[in-house]
Amino acid sequence: MEKVLTDFVKALRNSNVRVSPAETLDAMSVIDEVGYDDRELLKRSLSIVLPKTPDEKQKFETCFDDFFTDEIKVQEPITLKELKDIEDVESDLAKSLLEGSQAELMISIADAAEASEIREIRYFTQRSVFTRRILEKMGVGKLEDELLQIGSSREEDLPTDLEQELRNQLTGLRERVSDYVQQQFLLHGDVSGEQLREQVFKSMNMAQIDRSYLHEVHSLVRKMAKKLANLHSRRKKNFRRGKLDIRKTIRENWVNQGVLFNLSWSYKKVDRPKIYVICDVSGSVGAYARFMLMFLFSLTEVVSKLRAFVFSSNLGEVTDEFKDSNLDVAIETALQKHGGGSTDYGQALTDFVSLCIDEIDKKTTVVILGDARNNFGPEKAHLMKIIKERSKQVFWLNPEGKYRWNTGDSVMTTYSAYCTKVFQCGNIEQLERVISTLLKTAI
Amino acid sequence: MSDGPKKTINKITKGFAKHGYICSDQISTAVYLASELEKPILIEGPPGVGKTELANTAAMYFKKELIRLQCYEGLDESKALYEWRYGKQLLYTQILKEQMQEVLEGAKGLKESLSRLMKFEDIFFSEDFLESRPLLKALTSDKGTVLLIDEVDKSDEEFEALLLEILSEFQISIPELGVREAKVKPLVMLTSNNSREIGDALKRRCLHLYIPFPDAKLERQIVQARVPDISESIQIQLVNFVQGIRELDLKKQPAISETIDWAKTLILLNSEELDAKLAEETLNILLKHQQDIEVVKKEIPALISRATETSDGKSIN
Repeated sequence: MEKVLTDFVKALRNSNVRVSPAETLDAMSVIDEVGYDDRELLKRSLSIVLPKTPDEKQKFETCFDDFFTDEIKVQEPITLKELKDIEDVESDLAKSLLEGSQAELMISIADAAEASEIREIRYFTQRSVFTRRILEKMGVGKLEDELLQIGSSREEDLPTDLEQELRNQLTGLRERVSDYVQQQFLLHGDVSGEQLREQVFKSMNMAQIDRSYLHEVHSLVRKMAKKLANLHSRRKKNFRRGKLDIRKTIRENWVNQGVLFNLSWSYKKVDRPKIYVICDVSGSVGAYARFMLMFLFSLTEVVSKLRAFVFSSNLGEVTDEFKDSNLDVAIETALQKHGGGSTDYGQALTDFVSLCIDEIDKKTTVVILGDARNNFGPEKAHLMKIIKERSKQVFWLNPEGKYRWNTGDSVMTTYSAYCTKVFQCGNIEQLERVISTLLKTAI
Repeated sequence: MSDGPKKTINKITKGFAKHGYICSDQISTAVYLASELEKPILIEGPPGVGKTELANTAAMYFKKELIRLQCYEGLDESKALYEWRYGKQLLYTQILKEQMQEVLEGAKGLKESLSRLMKFEDIFFSEDFLESRPLLKALTSDKGTVLLIDEVDKSDEEFEALLLEILSEFQISIPELGVREAKVKPLVMLTSNNSREIGDALKRRCLHLYIPFPDAKLERQIVQARVPDISESIQIQLVNFVQGIRELDLKKQPAISETIDWAKTLILLNSEELDAKLAEETLNILLKHQQDIEVVKKEIPALISRATETSDGKSIN
């Protein structure tokens, strides 16, 4: 019976429910307790041990129902005595269908499935291919030929008992094999598909990702942001002032015969970075900006002081829009209001400096996202110098490949002189790495 | 195991009902498994569905003492586990200094003094100076307890790590004294409102029970149990009305506790029938945000007509 449980756990993992080995052991002791007799009770009990979030509980429900479906009913063959001409059948499959037990049949299905490498099944659409392959391996072709022969050689119009029975069994077999394939698909397929897709999205150039996948990418981005948030939210600094933690102080100082040399304070301070993001949303980098903003705003949990500005020629702040409304809407409005025009970095920098240069201090990180293609306009690099001097650090993320920097109207070198660091940031993986560095150093 | 799981579960359901807690099969199964497998149980769900109450009732049902630890940001081991009595410890060192004279009297040379000092019993870190906090108390109790760790999500992540040893091994390591094991394993219940994701390590060690808002049938039973004086017709209308509200998009959905409060209010007002005016006037008991009240106000006529309609035909289970 343990095999059933481990198979079920495997199916659960495939539907994205995280089950650890320890939890599998728990599930086993639960089953020892409640047994397999009562389906509802079993389901209720397992749903307490295996899935651990409301979302997982829902997946568990469907997975349980799929996995523990009612036994497939296959007609028992008519008692052999009634079939006089049973010796006449020639193909092996026909013989085993008529004479063999259900268990043997199941084993031969499993063998044939193994031979057709059912474990390689990955996608929903492959099911019929595998069903056909397994049936062929079992010798359905021969059986069908034989049925044709029997059909053509008979004298009456009505099919004989034998023929009828063989046909019934064949239909039963088909159903069985297709159910078997379905079950195997649940075990081996599906998710690897999803993982594959995530992998592809991560390494794909952001501008190339089709709009229709935006939703999926969003959830991927959110997942990554959460991971980073968890990683970096723990940094705490001890206060050097505030309320004295008397217990701890006495505790630490009793080695000094109770003379209080070392003081400890009761508050800990979570140091949160202040980040200003300036995002180019002109036509050339619009697609990147979308992801960049998406990612940064998924990070607002850690980065409490984040302000975002977008520009193509004139600069505008979009912080409030993002905080209040739904992300999709916010991105759309930001792009609509400010996007699409021709780029003017000089103007944007002028606006930024006049808008909030006073707020930039030594705790602030300024992040600029753009391709530095300035349409041959004034660069105003001295403004970059001012920003660099006042802030803790300036990062520039350029979505273009390095080989394209400084070609045409790109003035990357001019600006990069005033940046703490310049990153190439074309796909989500690179973005993740950049943000991680950002959070590490911004704190 | 003598009764078989099904019977025991039914017994729990009935026993809980006697104490005024109506629970679904899911809940009683969870309580049954937690007590059989001796595993802690993490209870999640929206606020006001009776998570804390479940622990209270379990304590009454199993006739064990309830020890409650309310979590908050900054909760640390000295408030949750144990604490040394520093004042007394300092006094003890004072006494020790005076005693030293006697102990060392007549000792020749540094070596002998030192060996005498080593022989001298040291109780600086011992049970005498140990102050038990809720978690240690729950473990050391002779009769077994129900330990409620309320709103784990409010505590820091460090505290979560602190809980791991207790939850999986039912023991606490005190560096100065060694490991303290539970005499009788307590029934541990943790609740969380999901204001922060609970760590995987903690989740893995617990059974997990999610209590959603109840369906109409269960909620009616709960109202009946908690507010027995209410007339049947208004009780049905009231529950249907609340169930209707939960389908709207609100900042905070009304919970069971709010339904019960509302039922009590309606009794106090001697109302026989739920009508639009009454609903509008008492809406602030059910909803805690002005925005929500505005949203629901618009829907009142529709909600009322649906609530009374279904109560006549009793078509909602």
